[in-house]
Amino acid sequence: MLLIHCPYCDATRPELEFTYGGQAHIARPLDPSALTDAEWENFLYIRSNPRGRHRERWRHTHGCGRFFNAVRDTVTDRFAATYRTGETGPSDADLGGAQ
Amino acid sequence: MSDLTAASSDAAVLTTPEPGTRHTGQGVTITVAEPTLRLSLRARDAALLASATGLTLPTKIGDVTETAEGYALMLGPDEWVSLGTPANATAGQPLAVVDISSRALGFIVEGPRAEALLSAGCPQDLAKITPGHGTRTIYETVEIVLVRLTDGAAGPRWRVEVWRSFAAWLWGALVTAA
Amino acid sequence: MSGYRLPAGGLIDRKAPVRLLWDGEGYTGFSGDNLASALVANGVSLFGRSFKYHRPRGLLGMGAEEPNALVTIDRGPGRVTPNLRAPALPVYEGMAATSQNRYPSLKYDLGEVNNSLSTFLPAGFYNKTFMWPRAAWEKLYEPAIRRMAGLGESPKASDPDHYEAVYAHCEVLVIGAGPAGIEAAITAAKADPAARVVLIDEQEEIGGGALSDPDLWDWLKAAYDDISALPNLQVLPRTTGIAYLHDNYVAAAERLTDHLPISEATGPRERLWRFRAGEVILAQGAIERPLVFDGNDTPGVMLASAGRTLALRYGVAPGRAVAVVATHDSGWTDAIAIAKAGVNVTTIIDARATVSADLLAAARAQGITVMTAHSVIGVKGRLEVTAVETASTAGSISSTIPADCLLMAGGWTPTLHLWSHSKGTMKWDDAWGAYLPDQPFENTRVVGAGAGDWSFGSGETFAALPTPRPAHKLKAFVDFQNDVTAKDIRLAVREGFRSIEHIKRYTTNGMATDQGKTSNINGLQIASESLSKPVTAVGLTTFRPPYTPTTFGTLSGHHKGALFQPVRKSVIDPWATAHGAVFENVSQWRRARYFPQGTEDMHAAVNRECRAVRASVGIFDASTLGKIEVVGPDAAEFLNRMYTNPWKALEPGRCRYGLLLGEDGFIRDDGVSARLAPDRFHLTTTTGGAARVLNMMEDYLQTEWADLDVWLTSTTEQWAVIALQGPKAREVIAPLVDGIDLSPEAFPHMALREGTICGVPTRLFRVSFTGELGFEINVPAEHGRMVWEAIWQAGQPHHITPYGTETMHVLRAEKGYIIVGQDTDGTLTPYDAGLAWAVGKKKKDFVGKRSLDRPDMVAPGRKQLVGLLTEDPNVVLEEGAQIVANPAQAIPMTMLGHVTSSYWSEALGRSIAIAMVAGGHDRMGQTLHIPMPDATHRVTVTGTVFLDPKGSRLDV
Repeated sequence: MLLIHCPYCDATRPELEFTYGGQAHIARPLDPSALTDAEWENFLYIRSNPRGRHRERWRHTHGCGRFFNAVRDTVTDRFAATYRTGETGPSDADLGGAQ
Repeated sequence: MSDLTAASSDAAVLTTPEPGTRHTGQGVTITVAEPTLRLSLRARDAALLASATGLTLPTKIGDVTETAEGYALMLGPDEWVSLGTPANATAGQPLAVVDISSRALGFIVEGPRAEALLSAGCPQDLAKITPGHGTRTIYETVEIVLVRLTDGAAGPRWRVEVWRSFAAWLWGALVTAA
Repeated sequence: MSGYRLPAGGLIDRKAPVRLLWDGEGYTGFSGDNLASALVANGVSLFGRSFKYHRPRGLLGMGAEEPNALVTIDRGPGRVTPNLRAPALPVYEGMAATSQNRYPSLKYDLGEVNNSLSTFLPAGFYNKTFMWPRAAWEKLYEPAIRRMAGLGESPKASDPDHYEAVYAHCEVLVIGAGPAGIEAAITAAKADPAARVVLIDEQEEIGGGALSDPDLWDWLKAAYDDISALPNLQVLPRTTGIAYLHDNYVAAAERLTDHLPISEATGPRERLWRFRAGEVILAQGAIERPLVFDGNDTPGVMLASAGRTLALRYGVAPGRAVAVVATHDSGWTDAIAIAKAGVNVTTIIDARATVSADLLAAARAQGITVMTAHSVIGVKGRLEVTAVETASTAGSISSTIPADCLLMAGGWTPTLHLWSHSKGTMKWDDAWGAYLPDQPFENTRVVGAGAGDWSFGSGETFAALPTPRPAHKLKAFVDFQNDVTAKDIRLAVREGFRSIEHIKRYTTNGMATDQGKTSNINGLQIASESLSKPVTAVGLTTFRPPYTPTTFGTLSGHHKGALFQPVRKSVIDPWATAHGAVFENVSQWRRARYFPQGTEDMHAAVNRECRAVRASVGIFDASTLGKIEVVGPDAAEFLNRMYTNPWKALEPGRCRYGLLLGEDGFIRDDGVSARLAPDRFHLTTTTGGAARVLNMMEDYLQTEWADLDVWLTSTTEQWAVIALQGPKAREVIAPLVDGIDLSPEAFPHMALREGTICGVPTRLFRVSFTGELGFEINVPAEHGRMVWEAIWQAGQPHHITPYGTETMHVLRAEKGYIIVGQDTDGTLTPYDAGLAWAVGKKKKDFVGKRSLDRPDMVAPGRKQLVGLLTEDPNVVLEEGAQIVANPAQAIPMTMLGHVTSSYWSEALGRSIAIAMVAGGHDRMGQTLHIPMPDATHRVTVTGTVFLDPKGSRLDV
């Protein structure tokens, strides 16, 4: 059971309090009607699946209830960072190089 | 085979305990609290919320402000729960006050082994929650709001709030573990 | 000396005899014995029959690594446990143990015929034989093979015991309480009195290897004193660390009562500890390796460490004429130590050319004959060792040494299972002939023998002992529990398997319940030799939890019986129970399905309930429906963005049916919702969708539209909801309601009024899911039961009838109201479901709108909801039944869709059904077919509203 640091509670809590929220930083287009079908399909279904650093969302469902962002390594399950909704979080360079 | 199918209907025997019901275990007592006023309070502007409702609210997530009638707990950056004290009526302001009095039941867990009992199902390090603090969390698969009140005569005192329909199971689980 | 018990010595209590049964015969041991030591003390050498070949087997090791002595313990009905390792079982008065995998008895086992057939039963034989005829595999070969191969009998009764589970946090967790672990725990506890330190060990008492070394007993006693003086050090014996998971989360199983006589066993049987540790210190020691030679599985051949433990810890001689074969110094030190304790050790055979002069001298001083540069090439005896055959390693001189016990010392393998779980890396060490820990992944370190930090003396690695005999004639065992020989491993390599993962799975080496504790390294060495590659190039297989077999009960903890999982019940549930309701599970809830009277079956009850609702009035518990209070100045704007419908113009006091799509345009949920005030809405969702919908809405509010001033609160459990449906509904509640004008002019359909009922506040909805005049009376849940009973009483003159979910389903189907998740399956758009009217035409955007414009979403031939009327009105179609246009077509048929809802309709006197059919809206009046096993049914496609299409029954 992972330990996850909630950036809102500013506390590290057990994974059971959280639910996974998919890939992060996918903004809903402000004007969906302006998108082509291909662009809309991209928004709906196309997601990255990296072996390594993944920027994703979690929700502290059984805690403060907030959605937040995280950088997690999909191979080691290590969290490199968690940060609030709306923030950009650390870049790859910040985390020690490209991946 | 019949043993296995019987198990799922065993849950039918669990009933929601009445207020005042008490169970004494090893170094811990669990009591069902009396019904009380419960309010869910939401706003981005904590000061506005406090002044509009007339309630005293903590300003840090996890802090509890105890009152004569109950307490107020800050659950998240824009969420509080308040027990016991009525709020002034508000309308048209950027805040939300919702009466959730009937939504939950409260259990008081007190005694020297209160933390050990709650640790049977709550995966947090409860030793880190000192009096005057609380949090929404989980007990096995059931969501609870856990508050550590000021220590009482019998030792540490906790209040567990659980949604009404889960209360029968949670009472059964706590009694079994006590 | 009685039996093999030494006259003195050991940590047993010779003043406390314990009686036990083994295969029905009575034996006596002492308190402090385990089953293995007690039986060996009584001269028992035969403990079991091997898995595949049914060879007679004795004790190999005295710890968690034991692969042969697997027994069944009977502690009463439902408490019979197979496959327990004899050395791990402390004896108690009345213990009843039986051997396994033999018929009719351990001594005369018919299964031993497999041993003679062993040429035809090598590793993986079932991949090459028993193939013809094909049909015979299922009926004949497989059942026979399963019966022959075996671990014990599976229990047939439910486990009556209960189990506990707890979470525990500590700053330091030490796993393994041998000398290294004890020292680490004491050091950690002393270093910081505020630190919580926990020390666990799988054995009955702490001490580990020190318990078999009398020279360390004084040190151990001093350690006990140290420990009791440290209030922050908690010691848990009988607690096995079974899994080391992410972020220093360690699961450990504590045995609470299995060591006690049955009459004293009260309380939970086991406790699962779920530790979260700041630092984990692994001190699990090392396990001795067997040597690989012909006949090394004969009863009486065991690890030298087992001989030492039997003699020094339990006061039991492993034999009366003990020979030792060693390639490591520890075999010598063990032999010398037990000789000093009174065991008759006759010979030490060592394959090494040179052994230290000190050891030679010490051995000779005990009268032991030493034979260096010699190997064991065979063992005589079948049910027990009678002699040991030796030869010089050069292959020439040979001799036969009489013996009834042969101790093997093949070196030591650090126990790194939990280290491996935690993703620590390992590096090969030639001196140890095993892997040692390298880089940790979690905050952990290994101390003691596990880290290679212990001196067992030096030794040499031999994959198998040298022998002049032809290899194909030998039965030299590598994996004792799964009956894998050196020959099998070489065979796997010859057949082309290169990776250790494949060799392991093909031969099953290391795959038994002992997870290769005594076989992994030997198997690896033999594979490495066969492949002519260094061991590090061959690899090492992965260790997986649990470290030792763990009872299912322990893993499920309290989750059994009534506590298996929460069953959510509404406040009306006790009334329903008292009135004979039959219940069904809906999501996590329990809901009344129907209320049978007298001898009614479900159909009779439902038909009566349906008639009653449409004729007069029925009462239904709708409390489980999801409810969300939406509050804030931007409430209407938010709902407008989420739902397909327009919300901004909805006046306070009015209701609207809301349809919720995903961004993909498919229906996700629905519900009737009401506006209470400009900035307050009372939303409803389906019972099963409540949490999901709230989560979806929070997602948008928090991450997309964070600027909106609106907040969501779950009120599902705040309100009990009593649905009152039928022409008499208004009359029933009129006397109970205060502050609300119930007249149809003042209170139209799809409206909400606030007032009181029976003196408590109510949100009174005039809504109908039945097509009859209806109300949904929302009251705070704590008053739900009282109000229900008041309405029940008030309704008596009108023959008020309680109805359940089944009737609710029928009545709404007659009116063509869909149920999301039953009539929809996540692929229907509003148009497909006939709900285009619910889509706001002028809305610029809402969740899912963009997807509705995709060409695929408006293409002809999409599955659409229609009604079906069977040609034979008495046929009620089966839900899920497939629909075809031409029943005579070849199989596989083109399926047009399926039946989603199907019922007998009392109101219509015939069956009705709703179905998803390709191009359904264009098939009105067409005949389609439903092929079923017994008959093919003809149906006509209709609209989905079967009763009162104009809705006049609502207009009252």
